Amino acid sequence: MKCAFSNELLALYVEGDLPAADAELTATHLMGCEQCRQFLDQLRERQSLLKSLRQETINPSSFAGMRREVLSRICDAQQTFGWAVKIERVLMLGFRRRGYAFAGLAIAAILSVSLLAQMRHALPEPHPSGAVFEDRDTLLRPEGYRQWVFVGASIGRESFHNVYINRPAYREYAKTGTFPEGTVMVREMASSEMKKEPGLDGVYEKEFIALEASVKDSSRFDGGWGFFNFTDSDGKMKATAQALPDGTGCRSCHEERAETDHVFTQFYPVLRTARAEL
Amino acid sequence: MEHGIDNSLLIHRALSMAGASGTEVSPEGAEVAKLVRLALGGDATAFEQIIARYERRVMTVAIRLLGTRDDAQDAAQEVFYRAFKYLHRLDPQKPVEPWLIRMTVNACRDIGRKRQKWRSTFPETTAPEAVATDRSGDPHAGLAGEQERQMVWKALDSLPEKERMAIVLRDIEGFSTSEVAAILRSSETTVRSQISRGRLRMKELIDQMMGGLL
Repeated sequence: MKCAFSNELLALYVEGDLPAADAELTATHLMGCEQCRQFLDQLRERQSLLKSLRQETINPSSFAGMRREVLSRICDAQQTFGWAVKIERVLMLGFRRRGYAFAGLAIAAILSVSLLAQMRHALPEPHPSGAVFEDRDTLLRPEGYRQWVFVGASIGRESFHNVYINRPAYREYAKTGTFPEGTVMVREMASSEMKKEPGLDGVYEKEFIALEASVKDSSRFDGGWGFFNFTDSDGKMKATAQALPDGTGCRSCHEERAETDHVFTQFYPVLRTARAEL
Repeated sequence: MEHGIDNSLLIHRALSMAGASGTEVSPEGAEVAKLVRLALGGDATAFEQIIARYERRVMTVAIRLLGTRDDAQDAAQEVFYRAFKYLHRLDPQKPVEPWLIRMTVNACRDIGRKRQKWRSTFPETTAPEAVATDRSGDPHAGLAGEQERQMVWKALDSLPEKERMAIVLRDIEGFSTSEVAAILRSSETTVRSQISRGRLRMKELIDQMMGGLL
């Protein structure tokens, strides 16, 4: 005959989830019931099967992709957060107590929509970095940099160098004259060719051939900046790049010859002008 | 409030997961609180560090609730985006992890429901793909282990949403019943009942599947 003791209690007893009184009752019953002891053993086996899923780990590449998406989404969306969120943020940060904050939110909403325009300037302006790291010194190839601020181009021996800076860093630089943590500079190189069309002189950018980046992140790099080359020796683009080691040409040249904090502002009229306006 | 459970107190306990609670703040809790303050002030690298700190936990919970890596990635993105948007709502005295796990559960609910709708529209859709994970060094690896793993996932996927969430959080993620109750904004009694029903149903389903294999 099947024992009428509650299976529900046994299912909780198996992992110690019962309150003390119920646990005691169940333990007492188990001492005298072989059928329930067997059922409990089966439950234990199934539980250990379920817990074996704990051993599974996730491939780190999933994190890098997810992080890049989040940062890019934040970068795109921060200007479009609804007015309610913006006002709430100011009030919450101001009052730090939810009750006051919501009361303030209601009053602010009723009093004037124009408050939003005034507060816009008071909102903290998050400026997500364009840099996403896979680990301590491995940078994912920046994306969307052609929509950043184009600071200038120079002509090398056989190639053009187009240089971009991420927008939040540019805004901060234009405001303060210093490059903030999270600044990313990208140098995209293109091959050059003589124009062949009749009546046209000079050279033009033919094909993109290389990509380099520098990132200001004092928590990761001695001297504050890391330098990266996303081009293989065979000219192929890499998805990730490790920071170039100390002593390589990049770092020492930027350290010694760049005019402003490892950046060759002397070559970029956009940056020079921004600073001159301070 | 059912059975006098004060969710805020429970959450407070759950918060110790991130190393901080109430007035006693651990060095790790203080560090996270500092990152939150910096992120609120607009420091993007601070927010990235917050993501780096909790992405594994958030992704793990999401993948176990949703069963596929793509869905879990979508859920994790949504969680961190919401976290950034509503970071000002986080009490600086409290740790971040339980707040993120609650958002993860909500994001997974939303995605799971959309998936259900899709499945009912396209009934020929197969069961969720196996979780793509690195199992190197796993003693259960191998054909038999893989079959067992598939069985457990299939059984888990057959559970009703609430039971599945309670089982994942309690039995796989290892939260206590009171922590699960706080995360799901439910009472301990309700959560216990979901866990109990879920475990019995899992046993029944796995027994059936194992019977089919013999």
